[in-house]
Parts: sequence; structure tokens; C-alpha cells
Amino acid sequence: MAGYGCGGYEMEQPDAIIHQPVRLKIMAALKGLPRGERLEFVRLRAILNATEGNLGAHIGTLETAGYIKVEKDFNGKKPRTRISLTEAGNRAYADYVAFLRAILDGEGSRAATGGLP
Amino acid sequence: MTLSPNEAVDALHDIAAVEAHSQRLYGYRKASPQLILWGVLWMIGYGLTAAWPSRSNPIWIAVDATGLAASFLISARRTRNADAGGSRPRVYWRFPAIMLIAFVFVAATIVIMAPVSGRQVGAFIPLVVAASYAVMGLWLGLRFTIAGAALAALTLGGFFLLPAHFALWMAAVGGGVLILGGLWLRRV
Repeated sequence: MAGYGCGGYEMEQPDAIIHQPVRLKIMAALKGLPRGERLEFVRLRAILNATEGNLGAHIGTLETAGYIKVEKDFNGKKPRTRISLTEAGNRAYADYVAFLRAILDGEGSRAATGGLP
Repeated sequence: MTLSPNEAVDALHDIAAVEAHSQRLYGYRKASPQLILWGVLWMIGYGLTAAWPSRSNPIWIAVDATGLAASFLISARRTRNADAGGSRPRVYWRFPAIMLIAFVFVAATIVIMAPVSGRQVGAFIPLVVAASYAVMGLWLGLRFTIAGAALAALTLGGFFLLPAHFALWMAAVGGGVLILGGLWLRRV
């Protein structure tokens, strides 16, 4: 169901879990890897330039939603946390990107009809 | 929940940048052990060549065979580790295959061009490797191009300025550049 809200294009509600900027970027960073590949927590933190606590909280939210898988093990004697995108997460991310693109498509249509919905 | 077109553009721009950054770092991380491996092998190969120039052919046959086998094992191990994460099986022969193709290309070129000295061969191969990294960098990230440019510059510098000690130069500097390049690729 699509329509126009106040200054924006409104369609079906975006996924509230991914809608948060840090969580969206976590999903994007994981999407940038080959399917099934895992990203170490420390590398993800560096890519996003996020603090450990903040990133950990958002990872917890995404894991609870089933969008990512978190694996903890040891690399030699060092503890290691690795994160990967699940199939559900992959679909959710694709849907969210489609939602963003639909907003732009809607804007293009509006411009083509002289700004009228 | 409403999002303006400008906000949507910003979000798409942000996620495209993060995806690209993540892809680039993944490519760096994957290539890193291969550079370090070949850096160590170049140190050994050029070092032994400097000590026993007349035995350079068997030395490099052994070094290249070891390198190809080790490169294949590294790729296979990385793929196995990734597959343990639940992905479908992936090819792990691509990087060693690239090197095998380069090896055949270099061997064929040497046969056709018939260089008159071992020093020419010793400079030609690093220049081919350097050019390959420089080209790869156009798609995979600037660090490859910088590593390739550094390797080419140092190879040419050693070839023209230190002809008497070229093999030693390449052992230290050629191998060193690959090792340092590999370590640099591991950094986020």
C-alpha cells in the first residue's frame, strides 16, 4: 500500500529493526561479503567506526531478530566473535533497500506528474 | 514511518559506501597470506640465487612448486573455514590458478624473448607481478596498486642501480615489499 506522507513517500512500514542507522550499516557490511562469509567483530567495529558497547547492543538486536548469526570461538588463545548474515537477514536487507529505492521511484513519478500524487 | 527522498538517498549512499568498504577489506584480507607467502619465498629464492647463481634454475623450480602448492593449500583452508559457516562450497583454486597462468605466461615469454642474463629474468618476473597487482587494484582497491607500484619501482631501481647485487636486493626489498604489502592488507 503506497501513498504520500508529510514530505515523504510512505509505503508499507519499513523494517523497524533495520531502520536504525547503525543496524542498517551492520547489515550492509555483512552484505558486502560473499554469502555465508563471516566478519570478525573487531573488523566490523573498525569498518563502522563504532564503539564496542554500542555495536554489541545492535548486534544483539539483530541476532534476536534472526537476521545475523553470531559465533564465538578461540583463534589460538584469543577469543573471537564472528558475525554472518542469515537467509532471513539477507531477505530483510533486500526488502529494506527496495523500500528505499521505492521512495526515490515515487519521488520521480511525482516529479513527472508535476508534483501531484 | 515516513522517510523523505533525501533521507532515502542518504541511506542508500551510506549503505553502498559501507558495502564497498567491507568488500574491499575482504579482498585485502583474502590476498594477504598469499603476498606474505610469496614474499618469504622470494627472499629464499633470490637469496639462494645470490649465493649460488649457477643453480638458479633448480632453485626457482623448487621455490615455484612450493609456492603453488602452499598457495593452493592456503586457499583451500580459507574456503573450508568459510564453508564451516554454512555457505555453499566455493572455488578455492582461483588464486593458485591465476598464478599458474602467470607462470606459464612468463615461461613462454622467456622462451620467446630469450633474455641474455639471469638478472633480466629476475627483474621481468617481479615486473609482471607488479603490473598484475597494479591492474587488480583498479577493481579491488588502491592498496594493491600501491603495492604493485612500489614493487615495480624498487625492481627497476635495483636492476639499474645495483646490477652486481640485484639478487640480494630482490631478496631483501622484493620479498620485503610483498611481506609488508601482505601485512598492510590485513589492517582494517
